[in-house]
Amino acid sequence: MTGGRYLGVDLGSTTAKAVVVDGAGKILSSSVVTMGAVSRAGMQRAIDQALGEAGLTESDLQGTVSTGYGRRLVPGAGRTYTEITCHARGTAEMVPGVRLVIDVGGQDSKAITVGDDGLVRDFAMNDRCASGTGRFYEVLARAVDVPIEGLGDLALRGSDELEVSSMCATFAETEIVSMLAEDQDVADIASSVHRAIAARTLALVAQVGRYTPVVLTGGVARNPAAVHFLSRALDAEVTVPAHPQITGAFGAALLARDGDRGRPVATDVRGADEMFPRPRGHAHDGHDCSGCDGTLGPGTVDLGTVIPAWR
Amino acid sequence: MPESVALQRLREAARDPRAYVAGWRAHHPGRRVVGVMPMNFPREIALAAGVLPVYIQDDQRPVAEGRAYLPEFYCGYTRNLADQAATGRLDHFDALLLADHCIQLLGASDVARAVGDRSVFFGMLISSLSDSWAEKKIAEMMGQFRGEFEKLSGAPIGDEALTRAIEAYNADRELLRRVFDERAAGDTTWSPVELQDMVVSAQVMDPIEHRDLLVEALAAAPRGERDDRVRVHLSGHLCHAPRRELLEVIEETGAVVVDDDLWSGRRYVQSLVPFTPGEDPMSAIGRWYAERNVDLPCPTRVQHDVDWDAWLIDATRRSGAEVVVHLMPKFCEPHMLFYPELRKALDAAGIPQLLVETEHEGIPLEALRTRLEALVERALRHRPAYA
Repeated sequence: MTGGRYLGVDLGSTTAKAVVVDGAGKILSSSVVTMGAVSRAGMQRAIDQALGEAGLTESDLQGTVSTGYGRRLVPGAGRTYTEITCHARGTAEMVPGVRLVIDVGGQDSKAITVGDDGLVRDFAMNDRCASGTGRFYEVLARAVDVPIEGLGDLALRGSDELEVSSMCATFAETEIVSMLAEDQDVADIASSVHRAIAARTLALVAQVGRYTPVVLTGGVARNPAAVHFLSRALDAEVTVPAHPQITGAFGAALLARDGDRGRPVATDVRGADEMFPRPRGHAHDGHDCSGCDGTLGPGTVDLGTVIPAWR
Repeated sequence: MPESVALQRLREAARDPRAYVAGWRAHHPGRRVVGVMPMNFPREIALAAGVLPVYIQDDQRPVAEGRAYLPEFYCGYTRNLADQAATGRLDHFDALLLADHCIQLLGASDVARAVGDRSVFFGMLISSLSDSWAEKKIAEMMGQFRGEFEKLSGAPIGDEALTRAIEAYNADRELLRRVFDERAAGDTTWSPVELQDMVVSAQVMDPIEHRDLLVEALAAAPRGERDDRVRVHLSGHLCHAPRRELLEVIEETGAVVVDDDLWSGRRYVQSLVPFTPGEDPMSAIGRWYAERNVDLPCPTRVQHDVDWDAWLIDATRRSGAEVVVHLMPKFCEPHMLFYPELRKALDAAGIPQLLVETEHEGIPLEALRTRLEALVERALRHRPAYA
């Protein structure tokens, strides 16, 4: 373990996340607290949990960076960064070589392209509409009366051929109710809505260009149907980090470690390896995969290869 | 340092043109006031006729009755103009005038004609400026404007009056342009909202009165020094001012606006009427119109050897702007059509950019703040010092 302890806090619209790293960027602890709405209490609980798990107090920290919509509410944060910068930083560390990060949070979704240096190249985010965000999935879960945790499995069992014409979070609920009134199968409804949401995300991706490898982060990445339909819409494999909700907080902690103004510092990623076993499966860009064990180790992917599809 | 009284008066005129017009009328009994729709009418002609020409501003009030006249796919500014016309908020003007061919502004002028009993004059300045007949057509239209204002004021417009009007607007614009040049050089600390108030008040006020106040306001201003904030060029909003809160958010993110090509900014101040003593003032006004598009290109004009994208890249080099923020009003067709060219050119030049689609009804400010901050962070993290 290397000296120095750094805290990253991601205060989002529905959850607070905290990650503690050491001077090498190794994750010492993390927490995810569901708030329901932005709350200082929820944020403090996330910080306390992460610090407690690492056996630290706030006075042990050499730096704190906050991110998320509530980033300016985090006490003690030496600096704030947007979720866009933090998700790019954290994801590039977890999945070296990533070129496109799609983050679907509680109330917004973002498409972020990442350069060779792990820095943001371009980004797009929804700003007027909850379509395609975590909120939209919550609306769907409520309408079909299943817990949000079971929504993905339900959707994977259904057929996705129903027509979903409205992607407005309000009007889609009305449409789902009328499908239920027509005795449509709930699994088919869930599946079709997932397909429609993926198409919506594709439109966001089109604004920055479709690049591979693709990584999905945010709470929605835990929904297997969301991953499946996004992968199909993009026609590319979509990688999900082991803990997709904390990539922003992890990126914030790394930025705290990196020092003033985000100066990149060489990182020993072994810590991240231990915390996040490399996910199996990555985008295929035409190279020979024989003998590959499916991990993203050095030399298995040409990191310079970027496939712009729609520019 | 306390704000000068002069600056306060400029701000009041910019934010409440109706009150300014009422005050002006009280001091100039019997004189006419004409509401002018943007962007290219030469107000010198109106002033020479003794008429106060006021560029009509978006008053930022929600569109209510105007919705009955123009559908949602008209831009917010024109829907706001329709609403102003439908609810009597243009009644302080004796007449209205449109000199440009924007299809959306035409809709607003039609509404004003339909709901009010005041005169609405539409004279279309030719938009194709490379054609052999352009100069003749411009001169003809300028002559029509002169004739209309002679009818409105009931007296002929003399060349001497025209010359004085040209000199008055030139002097005001020249002083404003100097402020913009100083900002681009990093020598002033005016915020984008303060500069917008200076320009919008110039679009509203009598030019001599405006310049006198501006001289006083500038004399009280502290000098600035270039700092290391991310330097931003604002581009777009071709015919009306962006909402002030949007401009405020941009600088709250740790950036500094150093230049722009907005209607309520450099686009208004860039071109002076190229008048030399002894020449025909109407000819000089015609040249002003023809050359405006060279000085600062507009996507509503067609000129084969002029490109907005090339101008924009040159402008960023002159000011040292590191990023460009496009402010595109929703449904502004000229901007929408030209934007891909701007984007491609800036990408090729390696200049980060952000497209912000603006709406009359407001902007989701927190989401916008995040996008702007991300742009600033991106610029900071790509600076050589941090590589």
